[in-house]
Amino acid sequence: MPRFLHTADWQMGRYYSRFDNDDAVALAEARFTAIERLAQLARDERCDAVLVAGDVFDAQTVADRTIRRVFNAMSGFSGPWVMLPGNHDAALAESVWTRARRLNAVPDNVHLALEPGVVELKAQGLAVLAAPLTQRHTHSDLTEHFDHLDTPPELLRVGLAHGSVQGLLAEDIDSANPIAADRAAQANLDYLALGDWHGVKQINARTWYSGTPEPERFRNNEAGVALVVDITGPGAEPDVRRHRIGQFEWVQWREHLNVATDLDELLQRLEELPAPAVVDIRLSGEVDLAGEQKLLHALSVAEARHRSVQCDRSQLSLQPTDEDIAELNADGYLGEVIGELREQQESADDEKAATSRDALAILTSLLRDRIEPASESAGEGQS
Amino acid sequence: MKLQRVRIEQLRQFRQPLEVGELGPGLNLIHGPNESGKSTLVRAIRAAFFERHRSSSVDDLRPWGDSSAAPSVELDFECRGVQWQLRKRFLQQKRCDLQVAGDSYSGEEAEDKLADLLGFQFASRGASQDKHWGIPGLLWVEQGSGQNVHDAVAYAGDHLKSALNSLLGEVASSGGDDVIQKVQSQRAELLTATGKPRGDYARLGEEQKTLVTELAALDERVAHYQSMVDRLGELRQRYQRNEQERPWEAARQSQQEAENRFREIEQWQQEQKQEQQALDDCRQTLELLRRQQQQSQVAARKLTEREQTLAHCKETVNTLQTREEQVTVAQQQARKAYDKARQQVRVAKEQEQRNRLDNDIKQLRLQLETLGKNLEKARAHQAELQETRNQQQANPLDLEALEALRKTQRQLEQERVRSQAISTRLHYALESGQSLTLNGQSLQGEGDELLLEASTLALPGIGELTITPGGDDLARVQRQLERLQESYDNQLKSMKVDSPEQAGKLAEQQAQRKETIQRLEALLASIAPQGVDVLESQQQELTRRLEQLQSEQKVLSEIPGEPVSLTGAEAALELAEQQLSEADGNLQEHSKQLFAATQALENAQTEWQQLKGELDNPERQAAERSLQTQIAETGERATRLQQSVSNRQEQIDEARPQLLQQDMARFKASAEQLERSHQQEALELTSLESKLESQGAEGLEEQREELAARLEHVNRRFTELHRRAEALDLLLSLLQEKRQALTRRLQAPLQKHLNHYLGVLFPKANLDVDDNLMPGQLTRTGQQGQETGDVLELSFGAREQMGLISRLAYADLLQEAGRPTLIILDDTLVHSDRRRLDQMKRILFDAASRHQVLLFTCHPENWQDLGVAPRDLEALKTAN
Repeated sequence: MPRFLHTADWQMGRYYSRFDNDDAVALAEARFTAIERLAQLARDERCDAVLVAGDVFDAQTVADRTIRRVFNAMSGFSGPWVMLPGNHDAALAESVWTRARRLNAVPDNVHLALEPGVVELKAQGLAVLAAPLTQRHTHSDLTEHFDHLDTPPELLRVGLAHGSVQGLLAEDIDSANPIAADRAAQANLDYLALGDWHGVKQINARTWYSGTPEPERFRNNEAGVALVVDITGPGAEPDVRRHRIGQFEWVQWREHLNVATDLDELLQRLEELPAPAVVDIRLSGEVDLAGEQKLLHALSVAEARHRSVQCDRSQLSLQPTDEDIAELNADGYLGEVIGELREQQESADDEKAATSRDALAILTSLLRDRIEPASESAGEGQS
Repeated sequence: MKLQRVRIEQLRQFRQPLEVGELGPGLNLIHGPNESGKSTLVRAIRAAFFERHRSSSVDDLRPWGDSSAAPSVELDFECRGVQWQLRKRFLQQKRCDLQVAGDSYSGEEAEDKLADLLGFQFASRGASQDKHWGIPGLLWVEQGSGQNVHDAVAYAGDHLKSALNSLLGEVASSGGDDVIQKVQSQRAELLTATGKPRGDYARLGEEQKTLVTELAALDERVAHYQSMVDRLGELRQRYQRNEQERPWEAARQSQQEAENRFREIEQWQQEQKQEQQALDDCRQTLELLRRQQQQSQVAARKLTEREQTLAHCKETVNTLQTREEQVTVAQQQARKAYDKARQQVRVAKEQEQRNRLDNDIKQLRLQLETLGKNLEKARAHQAELQETRNQQQANPLDLEALEALRKTQRQLEQERVRSQAISTRLHYALESGQSLTLNGQSLQGEGDELLLEASTLALPGIGELTITPGGDDLARVQRQLERLQESYDNQLKSMKVDSPEQAGKLAEQQAQRKETIQRLEALLASIAPQGVDVLESQQQELTRRLEQLQSEQKVLSEIPGEPVSLTGAEAALELAEQQLSEADGNLQEHSKQLFAATQALENAQTEWQQLKGELDNPERQAAERSLQTQIAETGERATRLQQSVSNRQEQIDEARPQLLQQDMARFKASAEQLERSHQQEALELTSLESKLESQGAEGLEEQREELAARLEHVNRRFTELHRRAEALDLLLSLLQEKRQALTRRLQAPLQKHLNHYLGVLFPKANLDVDDNLMPGQLTRTGQQGQETGDVLELSFGAREQMGLISRLAYADLLQEAGRPTLIILDDTLVHSDRRRLDQMKRILFDAASRHQVLLFTCHPENWQDLGVAPRDLEALKTAN
């Protein structure tokens, strides 16, 4: 009764430009950890093989060190790995794979499916039908030849491919690397392991996207898992289970703040968010001085708990209340300046509004420092 | 604030107490010479307020050489409606006591109360300096520092502003300037004064640019790498295919085939060449033969021609012979006609001559007749003329003498009349029958006698009376009369006439004759202009000629016949002549032609005979037949060869030997090129592989990712700083703008007071006040119209005046704000001219109506017209 692990889209060598250096390094590191976790999982679950459905590497020319580290990280599972080139690491004349081979970095238990065809794992009872990308993009369905590939009848027919299943999403109709949605049925496959979609997604009983093991975008749903597939024998329905691999959840919130309770509700959610996560918040609306202080405080706390917290407040206008102004002792022309900045925040010109908002923040913080020079500064802007 | 009394003791030169009391609420003028103690008094007032009583830095207050002295100052003044009294002693038994409306303060408490009231600070250490003096520093002007108002205003700034604040209410910001300063310093971290990035901000901008460039370079390298990978894939595929297919071998095969084919065609071409040669020979022979044949054909044709010529010549001769008689007859007829025409002409000419002679004779006779008549007339006229001329010459009359005679006659008559007029008139009327005798002449009846000379009147019976006319004139007239009478008679005699009338008649006759002569001469001239003799000779000449013509006429024989027209005869002759000449010509021509034709006939005959003989030769006829056969045979052979050659050429053309040659070259080159490029591809493959290997090891895309991340990071940081810079910029400008607006509001009252005073000095002038309430630009009407300049650029005297005006304005401002004002001027305006000083006095007097002014001077004469009594310090000293 063969059991194998289905994963894809490791995107090794990716660098996270949107984060500060520390966070970016940590997130990149987490991807190596994910491979180790996959190996661990395969061993723990006594999988017969691990199938990687493309985009192991994010680019062809990654550093030698990256290549070596990837294969090193796989050492936890000594069973066979079948790795498929995807669009990011296509099997070109010269590719990351040829380099890996030249570096002697590929262990013997790793099968690189650089050419279309069948990788027979007789001992494991698997015949892996591979449809590697040999160009960066193709517009024909590379899995079509699965229909005509013969495999020994005692072995499971497992397809391994990378691309977009046709008809899944309207926008994918013309996309590169198309894959017919009913390929599993047409090619009489027991299972079709797919890569390219970064969240886990079931197409039909025998066709799955595993998604990436460690999330690297805010958009994908349910990223950060690997699939353990059990199939009792040729023709049997596969039993697919999800296993959490990813360390960091990626959360993106777009919030519009109108009243004080909006902010409270947001801060509540932030507090309850399981750590560690990668958080991206974009705020609009308005907030008073007290609210802003509360927000800054909460963000400061969250930054310490989570891997990364980014908060874009450029659309959030600061609206000090009269009490705020009185408290800040902003008398005379300072009061007038605050008033004017408040008005300018509402300008139709976004840039002007943002500048006014920043100016107001600087002014209020200066004024606050003046009243309570000893108190802890709440910071000046974004974290 | 009104200072009422000052008392000092043991202070500098005033070892003895000096009290200046009863100070007025307005202007107080205190004067004294140099070193009389004016400045000491001022110093004392200052010390009383500004110096801590405990201060050890006031040694200057001590009189010279008296180390035990305890300088003390007492001041009484009224302020805010209450009475203040200050007593202060320095250096020894230091004390400070202040009484305010019954309350007592002492020591530092008292001093601080004063500082708060007047608006100054104490020095934290040492003697009080101008920077501590605040408002009093502005209003109390030390000797020689009146022009420098800027420092004083700066030191008083805060006090002035707080005064203004209280005046305007809570408009100023309590910490505005502080905030502005902080914003400025924060902005200065990011931006230079001119708004250019600096520090981290500038560095990030630079880094951003560098990174963008680097990234672009890296992108290019990645693209290049990728294109090399693509090239490798392509190349490898092609190389393997070529290695299997070996296309250059196929090309070589094709080349060989083309070569074989080409050899075959070359063989054909050889054969073709030989056969073509044979064809050419054959054609040449044929050509020769044909030419021979043509020549014999030409001879035959010529014979025919000659036959024709012969026939033609014969015909010509015949024709000419038949025409001969006709031509001869025509010539004889023409000759006859010609002779007849000539005869006609001769007759016509004779007839014409006779006619002309008849005419001439008739004409001559007429002329002779006329001439005869004229000659007769001329002879008659000539005879008459001769007679008249003879008469004229016989009785000549001198016309001048006649004129002289008439003149003498007129004079004689005039003299006679005159003598009668002056003679004595004797009238007598005698009785009938009675008579008298005068000069022997008897007188009867009645009448008159003129008496020109002594006359004797004999009165019968009585005697004689002699009457003598009186006067000389009568005698002279008498004499003149006698002389004229004598001349008159002589003239008549010489002219042989009896009277002038006769002479007149003779003259008339003479004139008539002259006229007759003239008429006759004219007649004669018209008839015989050359004289009668000439006429006669003409007559003789004509007579002779007539005779001659008549004899000619007789000679001419009388030829009978009709009259013939000469013109007609001549025309007929001419025509006949022409016809004759034509007929002669015809005859001649005909003979010539005939001769020529006969000659030609003979020649033609000979030639024909000759050629005919030749052609009839049998050898020649045999040769011609053989030639004919040869031509036929050779022609046939040429046609055969031609066919064969053209067939083969077609074959060769179809095979396209040129293309085959090209094919050979092409296949050869292709084979070589294919093989060479295959080898090159092998080389390129190796080189590409090694390049990719080495570049792949660099991890370009990962590098790129990293660089992109760095760039993004820098971008983010730069954007943050940029936003912050913009925010700070905006904040700063807003703050400054608002602050300026506020300052302008604050400045307004000060401006009002300033312009109040300024108008006295310079009408319509304006003095700007800057943010710090300092006087700045002065605008006034000068000699060149509006002029603007900084107060600091004015002359010393003018600056001093401006300084004082400013201080008075500040005083007004402070007073409005309810602050105490006391103005102390120590020897001020010494640099002002008389006119300006007068204006300044008006200003000062006006100010003194609101403030107390203490004016110390060593020139009391300058200030006499201020309406206050000057107080002499020397007098005060002695009074104490």
